[in-house]
Order: sequence, then structure tokens, then C-alpha cells
Amino acid sequence: MKFSKSPVLKDELAPWRARLVLVLLLGCMAALIGRSLYLQAFNNEFLISKGESRYERTLEVPATRGRIMDRNGDVMAISTPVKSVWAIPEDARLQPAETRKLAQLLDMDVRELNRKLAEDKGFVFVKRQIPPELAERVMAMKLPGIHLQNEYRRYYPAGEVPAHVLGFTGVNDAGQEGIELAFNQQLAGQAGSRRVIKDRRGNIVEDVEHIKKPVEGKDVLLSLDAKIQYLAYSSLRKAVTDHRAKAGAAVVLDAKTGEILALANLPTYNPNNRTHLAGGQLRNRVFTDTFEPGSTMKPFTAALALEKGKVRFDTQIQTAPGKLSIGPATISDAHPHGVLTVAQVIQKSSNIGSAKMALSMEAADMWQMFDALGFGTPLKLGFPGEASGRLRPAKTWKPIEQATMSYGHGMSVTLIQLAHAYMVFAREGDLVPLLLTRANGPVSSDKNVFSAQTAREVRAMLEMAVLPGGTAPQAQIPGYRVGGKTGTAHKIEGGVYAKKYIASFVGFAPVSDPRLIVAVMIDEPSAGKYYGGQVAGPVFAQVMAGALRTLGVPHDAPLKPVQLGAEDQQVRESM
Amino acid sequence: MIAAFLQRFGIGGETPAARTSPATPPQEFDAVLLWSGLGLLMFGLVMVYSASIAMAEGSRFTGYQANYFLIRHSLFLAIGLVCGAAAFQIPLRIWQQIAPYLFILGVFLLVLVIMPMIGRSVNGAQRWLPLGPINLQPSELMKLFAVLYAADYTNRKLADMGSFKKGFGPMAMVMLLVGFLLLKEPDFGAFVVIVSIAIGILFLGGINVRVFGTLVLVLLIGFVILIWTSPYRRERIFGFMDPWQDAFGKGYQLSHALIAFGRGEWLGVGLGASVEKLFYLPEAHTDFLLAVIAEELGFVGVCVVVLLFALLIQRCFAIGKTALGLGRIYSALVAQGIGIWIGVQSFINMGVNMGLLPTKGLTLPLMSFGGSGIVANCIALAILLRVDWENRQLMRGNRA
Repeated sequence: MKFSKSPVLKDELAPWRARLVLVLLLGCMAALIGRSLYLQAFNNEFLISKGESRYERTLEVPATRGRIMDRNGDVMAISTPVKSVWAIPEDARLQPAETRKLAQLLDMDVRELNRKLAEDKGFVFVKRQIPPELAERVMAMKLPGIHLQNEYRRYYPAGEVPAHVLGFTGVNDAGQEGIELAFNQQLAGQAGSRRVIKDRRGNIVEDVEHIKKPVEGKDVLLSLDAKIQYLAYSSLRKAVTDHRAKAGAAVVLDAKTGEILALANLPTYNPNNRTHLAGGQLRNRVFTDTFEPGSTMKPFTAALALEKGKVRFDTQIQTAPGKLSIGPATISDAHPHGVLTVAQVIQKSSNIGSAKMALSMEAADMWQMFDALGFGTPLKLGFPGEASGRLRPAKTWKPIEQATMSYGHGMSVTLIQLAHAYMVFAREGDLVPLLLTRANGPVSSDKNVFSAQTAREVRAMLEMAVLPGGTAPQAQIPGYRVGGKTGTAHKIEGGVYAKKYIASFVGFAPVSDPRLIVAVMIDEPSAGKYYGGQVAGPVFAQVMAGALRTLGVPHDAPLKPVQLGAEDQQVRESM
Repeated sequence: MIAAFLQRFGIGGETPAARTSPATPPQEFDAVLLWSGLGLLMFGLVMVYSASIAMAEGSRFTGYQANYFLIRHSLFLAIGLVCGAAAFQIPLRIWQQIAPYLFILGVFLLVLVIMPMIGRSVNGAQRWLPLGPINLQPSELMKLFAVLYAADYTNRKLADMGSFKKGFGPMAMVMLLVGFLLLKEPDFGAFVVIVSIAIGILFLGGINVRVFGTLVLVLLIGFVILIWTSPYRRERIFGFMDPWQDAFGKGYQLSHALIAFGRGEWLGVGLGASVEKLFYLPEAHTDFLLAVIAEELGFVGVCVVVLLFALLIQRCFAIGKTALGLGRIYSALVAQGIGIWIGVQSFINMGVNMGLLPTKGLTLPLMSFGGSGIVANCIALAILLRVDWENRQLMRGNRA
């Protein structure tokens, strides 16, 4: 008889069935307890590590970037805390009115904002680096999916004035140009890190531990003097505007220490707002642009000739009839002069006088001097794109080239190289390296290019050049004795000399004990005047006078108005 | 007064009179059943709030209200308790009478929900009927109706249980229909639970062991076919086998549930301190509520939940046994059927949470967020209490 047919079941259910089902169900429950025990007490470490890999993040704790200050401690670059607005587009479904208000607050186009909020990403920057007050107003709108992030923004109080010296940093706070790049390691410090738990939307839920404290960036104390820098910049800007020039550059050096006190370039840019930047604005022309120096090279030729005993201060050189043929080529002076002393060759800037001195010397000696002065090699101050200039090996020089190089043609230099080289005249014939950071006092050097005697003699010649009867009486300053040399050169375009000019002036003061060197270069003056004395000379005078006053350098000449001499008496330099 | 009240609910100590006098009526409620049921409901409310708070605060559809789910779950609980109180008033005799009609109503609702214009679809599953502010989930009600109907069916066909054609056949046809409707949504989880209820009750009702064995075999083959023919279900199966294989794809949900268990360890990270619920673990307040309990309250918290369910199931079978002793076969089958329902569904849900079973959309009975589910569970608890109450009345010699 089958169990299922049992009459017992007519009224009653077999109790074993219920018991079996109950035992099965309770068995299942026991299995759950066992599995839970395994997961939570035995496999927990594996699972916890899996969890950590998903929501524990090591965050960088940014180090505050060091400040850049001028030699007197005035702040020239500082990092200020700012906020960046970012969004999770998926969450940020805003009402049209909300979008409009947000766009208005952030000074953005509504369409651009909508496009950003429609991106198929988990994270988009809406607007970076806004002032904290504005960020608070954005947050007060309590918009979904809109978040803030702390960042630092570099602020340059002096704006475009020292822009090329300081350079700037990128959005991720790394130096990209200038001092910011050259001293990046010192300024940046070292970011620290901490471990946090983040929720899936990136919000920090919990701090787990500090792994490393950040090392704050160190301040950089520059050799620059903010006042002299402003003076150099504003004088240069006026000259560039007045002469409708394409560009200009000026540099001020301390002859005693080699410190760069000012360095200005035009065109420039505002480092605090770098939208719509053109490449030309960014160029630090003092370091990157090379040009044929022209007559500013003549004093070196004269110095070498003195040094080598070929001539004396008053040796007479025949420059008539104002033309000189060397092989198939002919060189000439702007005015025929007749017989000139060496000092007058410099004063009147005679090409023929220079060429004759050069041809009395060995090409190798000239090359060695140029090399010792730093021409043909970059200064390696750490600025990006420092140019070396062109100085061909002496072996390849033809006599005509040796002659033209004596007055600065057939070679090229940067303005900083030129200013640095003039240090041999401002000092006792020796050179000290240039400094971007503040020095602790006068620097001595054993790198003598010329003897002290030669340096003194050339100084006297250069002083004559700025007196009436010289090429740049405009460079005189009341109260100080000044020495310097003009340079005017055709620009080379496509391998030929064009009717475009570069006017320059390099000089020092006070002549009795030179303290400062100022070099000025004006690119393509196109308002009629283009001679170095007319265009660059006045800039030199303004900057030099102001800088000497700023530094409190004692006068070495009576305070009386400068004598320019009659207009027709003025000497035009030769090119 | 208070002591008497507490005693009524089985908490207070017995009065000396109760111990000495054999005439004292037995307690009117099964205290263990009542308190384990209410315990799970209240525990569920707390955990739903904890699990949902971050998600509710950060989501647009909740209007960024942190207590969005707390308010709704409380409301569902209130509705559930009112429905439960009403259901308690209905004698099992009446339940038995209306069981076939309720079942037909359930089938009708299941047909309605898969209608393209009527049912509401969420995440590719069309399971809800929009009723004004509330969405009704017919499959949840169908679980209750299946218990009531299968018990009635088995009771009527006790004599035929040995016959495949007469005993099992008709029920199989009905189940095929319900199964088809559920898979159309699709709601694979409800399908498994309802089939388990039907088979379980048939088994309790004395179905032929050989027939039952064949049936289990056929169902197993059927499951395998179902799984292999649908890439959706297959993916869910493979995700469960090794969640770390594709931890950010198919295994994403499960791997996060397992991490929650691991992080919980013995005592948990503390109530409210779960990290997994911070947008990592999807469905934290519904299907994966246990994972949040495991993370926040640890192994101890999980044990409390499992033990409460075990107690509840044990009471279901004990009440069923008492009813059987009193000759109330329908009541017995209903009580034990509810036990099977709660047992199977809670086991599957918790098993899924722990990676023992493939992931499927099933809530934790009495605890997870979900209006229809909570109301159906409350009514089931009330019916259990009613069975128990009627048992006690009969034992005292009263008419049920």
C-alpha cells in the first residue's frame, strides 16, 4: 500500500514533511551564519584591502609656493588661495534660471556653461581660480552637482613691469618662464600627502592618516630693485612709444657685484591675466634676441689694441678720405674725419679707425677677447631660450670680416651679453658673473680681460663719447660723469641689410668709480630718428640718473644742466 | 494594569495566580512570533534610514531630502500595520473562501502590470502599477495570494495528492501561467519564491515523493534553460561565481556587498558609519540592506537578523503543527506556507548579499524598503497571528 494512499492522510498531513522543510530552512539560515562568519572574521582582511583600493585615496597636500621678492623685500610674486568651481555633470541638472544666474556670477556664456554641464564625464571644471568671495556666492546658490576645490593662484603685484624676469606658473603651479622656472625647485617646495576615504562622488568622508607633511616652498630674494625696474620699464615704454618702435629692452647691472638690478622688455604682458597672449609679448628679448651690436663693439677693439701695445691713447690714425678698400670691399664713415686719435675714433665712432686698429692685430687675439667677454656663449642664468649670439671661429675670418667685426658687424650678441661685457670698463678690466639673486656685498674676480690701465683709458674715451662732440650727448646726466657708447645697426632680413635699424646704447656711471651699467636697445624705431644716441641715449640717461639717485650714489660732477652742443655740431656715428 | 498589559503581550512575568490556577486562559498571542516580526520591522526601518540617507540627500529624484526614504518607509509600515490589524479580524475560514478570488485578482494585476501603457518600468523591469502617489508591486501581493491559494488547493485535493494528473497537474498549469507573467516583467526573484511556495505547500500536503522528485528535476532543467537563454540572467549568474573577475563590471554590486561584510568584522564600523552606502553599493536600502547591516553592525548584527528570521520560521511551523493537531489543515498549510515564503525569500536575499547565490532582485522580507512588500509581509504576519489565536481559542474550547 502506497504511503500517499494511507487513510491517515485523509485528515492529517505527514509530520515528517513539515519537519523536513523546517530543518532545510533552518539549515539554510545556519549556512548564512557560517558564510557571514567566514566573510567577516576570516576573509575580512582581503575584503578590507579591496575596499581600501576602491575608496581610500592618497591626496597630495600642496606646499605653498614661496614668494619672490625684490632686493628690498618687496613682494613681486605671491600665491593666494583661490577656488575652482567643478561639477559632476550627471548631478548638475540645473533649471534654466539657475544656469543663467550661475553663468552671470562666473562671467561665462550661458551656452558655454550648458556645454560643460552636458559633458559625458564624471568631473568637469566649470571655472578655475576665482576669488573666494565669489566662490561663496556660487555655493550660496546650493546647486546640485556643483563643487569647489582649493587652489593657489600666483599673483604678481607689479603686473607687466617685471613680467619677463619673474615669468609665471601654469595652472598646476609649476614655473613655466623666468625666475618661476629657473628657481622652480626652491619655490615649489615638496607636496605632502595624506590618506582619506572618499565617497563615490569624490567627497572626502574621513581622514585616515597623514603620510607626509608638505615642505613649504622657500622665498627667493632677487637682485632686482623694484623701483629701478619700474624706472627702466617706464622710460623704455616711453621711448618705444615715441619712436614707434617694434620692441625694446633695457637692463641695469650693478658693476660692483654683477647683480641684475632691472630688466625690462617691450612688448610685455600682464602675468595676472594671460589670456590672448602672443608669442612676441612673452619674449625676454634681453636674453633671447640677438642683434648686430654695431659701434658698441669699438671700445673693445680699442682696448685690445691698447692692451697689445699696438696703439696708445693718443696714437694718431688717418681716417681720410672716409673710405677704405679691403680686397674687393669698401668700408666707410658717415662723415669723413681726417686724422683722429684713438680716443677720438671712439668719440666720433669711426669705422675706418676701428678697422685699421683691428687689421694691426691677430684674428685669434680678437676672437679670444670676444670669447673672454662672453660673446658667442649663453650666460646660463637659467632663463629659457638664452641665446648665445654668433661669433665665428677666428680661422674662418677674412680680413674684411676682421675689419667689420671691429665695429660690431658680422657678429651678433644679446643685450645682456653686451651689458655684461661692458663690465670690464666699469671695473678694472675684470668680469664677474651676473646674479639674479641678491649678493651680500661687492664681488671680486680674477678673470681679467684687460689690465686696469687699459680699462681706465677706455673709460676716459667713453666719457668723451657722451660729451658734446661725441655721438651721444643725450646720454649725459647732471651731477654725474657718464661714459658710454652708441650703436646703430641695420637689421638683417633674409641675409641682407634692410632699411630697418636697431639703436642701442651701453654705458656706466659715475665714471670716477663706476657703480651701474645700463644697456638699452630699441628695435626698429620708425618715427624718423634711428641713431643710438638719439633714440637709446635719452633712455639711458633717464634710467641711469634715477637709479643712481635711488641707490644714493654720490655725485662726481657739478649739478648743472647738460650741454648737448649745437644740432649741426653733433656727430653721427658710422654704421 | 501595566503588568497585565505586558503580560498580554507576553513580556511581563506571570502572576502567581497564573501559575497556580489551571483555569487561566493561555496567552492570546504567540509572543515570540509577534516580537520577532515587529523586531525585524523596526530594525528594518532603522537600517533603511541609515542605508538610504546619503543617497537620498544626494539625489535629485528625492529632492535632496535626507529622510525621503525614512518618511516613506514609516508610512508603508503604518499602512502595513493597519492592514495587518484588519487582516487579523478575518477568520481563516473566510481567507480560505476568498483565496481563489484573491489569486485571480493577483493574476489580473500581473497581466495589467505587463501592459505597455499601464505598468511602470524601472531599470528595465516593468514591475509597478502607478496608483496615484504610490506604486503597487503586484508580484509582492502575489506571494501572499499564492500561499493562500496553494493551501486551499492542497486542502481540497488532499486525496489526490498521490496522483500526478489530478494532484499536481492543475497546480502546475496555474504556476506555468503565473511564472510566464512574472518572467515577462521580468521578476525572476518573485518567480522563484512563488514556485517555491507552491511546491513547498504541495510537498507538505503529501504529494507523491516520486512525483515530487520528477518535479524538482524538471524545474532544475527548466531553470538551467531559463538561465542559458537569457544573457541578462546569465550575466547575473557569472557575476556571482567570481565577483573579483570583473569587479567593476558584472561583479560590481556583489564585490561591494562583500567588501561591506569584510569591513564590518565582528562588531561593525558603527551605526551610520558605512562607507559602502555612500554611492558605492547600489540598492543599499532595498536588495542589499543586509550588506549595510553587516558593515555597520558586523557579524553580530547579521546574526541578530538571521536568528530573528529563524525564530519567525520556527514559529510558523510550530503554529502550523498546533493547527494540524486541531485538525485545521488549511490553517496549518497557510502558516507553514508563510514560513516557506519568509524562509526562502530571506535566505535568497541574504545568500545573494553574501555571494552564496546569484544576484537577483529580491528584497529582505519585513526589512527592505518597498511599500507593497512591507504591506504584504505585515498581512502575512497578521494571518499567522490569527491562526495562532484561533488555535488558542479552540484549545480553550471556544469556536474559532
